[in-house]
Amino acid sequence: MSSDLAISVENLTKRYGDLTAVNGISFNVNRGEIFAFLGPNGAGKTTTVEILVGLRKPTSGGAEVLGFDIAKDRKEIKKRIGVLPQSFNTYDRLTVKENVEYFAGMFDSSPDVDGLIKLVDLEDKKKAQFRNLSGGLKQRLGIAVALVNDPEVVFLDEPTSGLDPKARHGVWRLIENLHDEGKTVFLTTHYMEEAEALADRVGIIHNGKIVALDEKDKLIAEHGKKNLLVLRKADPKAVSVIDKLGLKANYDEGEGDVSINLNHAVAVSDIMQALSSARVSFSELQLKRSSLEDVFLNLTGEELGKEEPA
Amino acid sequence: MNHILLDLKASLKTFARNKSTIFWTLAFPSVLILIFGAIFSQSTIRNDLYIQNQDLVDGEATYWSDQLISILNETDTFNIKMVDVSINATDYALENRLDSLLIIPQGFNESTNLAIVTHSDSSINMTLVYDQSSSSSAIVQSIVFGIVERMNFEFSQGQYFLSVDSVPIAPQRFSFIDFFMPGVIGMTAMTTSIFTSVSISSRFKETGVFHKLATTPLKRYEWILSRTIFNILVSYLGMVVMLLIGVVVFNMTITVDAVSLVMVAMASLLFSGIGMIIARFVKDPDGADAAANVVTFPMMFLSGTFFELSQMPQFLQTIAKVLPLTYVSEGLRAAMIFGQADQALFNTALVSVMGVVSIIVGSWITKWEDD
Repeated sequence: MSSDLAISVENLTKRYGDLTAVNGISFNVNRGEIFAFLGPNGAGKTTTVEILVGLRKPTSGGAEVLGFDIAKDRKEIKKRIGVLPQSFNTYDRLTVKENVEYFAGMFDSSPDVDGLIKLVDLEDKKKAQFRNLSGGLKQRLGIAVALVNDPEVVFLDEPTSGLDPKARHGVWRLIENLHDEGKTVFLTTHYMEEAEALADRVGIIHNGKIVALDEKDKLIAEHGKKNLLVLRKADPKAVSVIDKLGLKANYDEGEGDVSINLNHAVAVSDIMQALSSARVSFSELQLKRSSLEDVFLNLTGEELGKEEPA
Repeated sequence: MNHILLDLKASLKTFARNKSTIFWTLAFPSVLILIFGAIFSQSTIRNDLYIQNQDLVDGEATYWSDQLISILNETDTFNIKMVDVSINATDYALENRLDSLLIIPQGFNESTNLAIVTHSDSSINMTLVYDQSSSSSAIVQSIVFGIVERMNFEFSQGQYFLSVDSVPIAPQRFSFIDFFMPGVIGMTAMTTSIFTSVSISSRFKETGVFHKLATTPLKRYEWILSRTIFNILVSYLGMVVMLLIGVVVFNMTITVDAVSLVMVAMASLLFSGIGMIIARFVKDPDGADAAANVVTFPMMFLSGTFFELSQMPQFLQTIAKVLPLTYVSEGLRAAMIFGQADQALFNTALVSVMGVVSIIVGSWITKWEDD
């Protein structure tokens, strides 16, 4: 395993009777990157994380974390990783500070407890018992707890699942901070926006198989729809102007919109100049970028699900 | 060791901050003691009559000794229980804290026949070993004396051929509360340990805390050891509260020696293990409480906590023999109230062996990781 790799997974399979939760997946995670495992519930994300952190045994295949074999070197791996399980829970009548101290003690480490609490922005909740924290604050504490041993790799399993948008963005900032500190972050999520906002590279998992894995921009470029430039309430003659530029345009009679499929051959500024020269009028200009949602739809034929966190 | 202390500290803080848990852990046994104690503190609980018939021919009771036993039985006043002839009857009565034990001597049949034929006063003495502190033994005495009087009158026309020597044995009066207190201390160790173990194991499994702990260097045995020590400490706390009630409210004289302390600790170990075994097979915390109740309730009532085993039907006594709480109650009673060192040690040793086995099995089947 290369020293640049934090995680290396080779042909990993996990079966439960007839159900194959993880089906022969292979991938690498580079040191210092945020790697997002994106997929719907039941795709095999959590099973993969749980195998990597030692909570489940694979049926076949193997993996290394920081160069240590997950089957043989669990003790060494445990010392070097931090884990935020799905829906973090702990001793509910211990305070925020006591919980951080508890887990620090379990690692026989002496972190700057107050510093960790400050990092996750829970200073004013330091003396609050866990059971009295909101979902977002509990997840933040979970992240602090995952950092007590100053881990090299942090596994975050659905860190914002069930959180409201404000709490979710708070957790995102924390994850970005971890990245800034040089830590490797392995993130699972079923929120497309989360992977887009945070990840350097994204692995899309569906029915236990990785259907695509790359930098997110490359994934979108390769598997997403074309980016669209939409002229709202536009003069229909815009279609013929765009045609002359060698681009494809459609007119929606109902909305009165003209949609232009963008490509790298023609710059947006050239399109605008051509429209201006032809005196094409329109009320508004919109850029519709392709997203990981489109990538997922394109690759699996299914929608990832745009459920908003509660 | 550091991990165990850390987890124990966390458990104790959690317990101390949960006022309702503290209240119910201590209130239930305290209320039981106060209510049962108030109702039954003046009453004794034993009303059996043990008989040792030494007048045998080829192992069979002679005619008149058998008749006497039948007459006593027909009074329908007490349960008659036979004691083997090879046993030293007085020692047996002392060891087993019997109210009354009647010894029919060898030659009883012959003397009775002689009295009938000759109306002579050739005497034969029966012995009634009795606990003078027990009110039921007084009833037994008066009935036995009445029957003897009648036999003298009927068989030898008033010549006293048959007499009864009364031998008192018990120096101390034991009341219901004496019997009850050690039983409730054992019961509290059971309920505390089983409910705590089942509840914490099923909750930690359900909420994923086990998964989180499994990703730390904390070892499973360290956590189990910490939880067991916690259960022992809570059982001791319950014991202290109940002893205070016993001494202050009921003016009891109770011995708390090393054996009784070891017994409470071993009982906690035993029931912590049983709790872990139950937790392994329940799917969620709601089912956990129900499962714990299914195990603790029958034990509570069938293990001699509230009633002496000898007062229960034979089949229930047989069931009691396989229930571990029976040995906890018996051992604590022997150590704390009756001062029977041998029985206390035997029961403590038995509970310790069961405790070690149950905690090993419980630890083995408690899983933090999934398959």
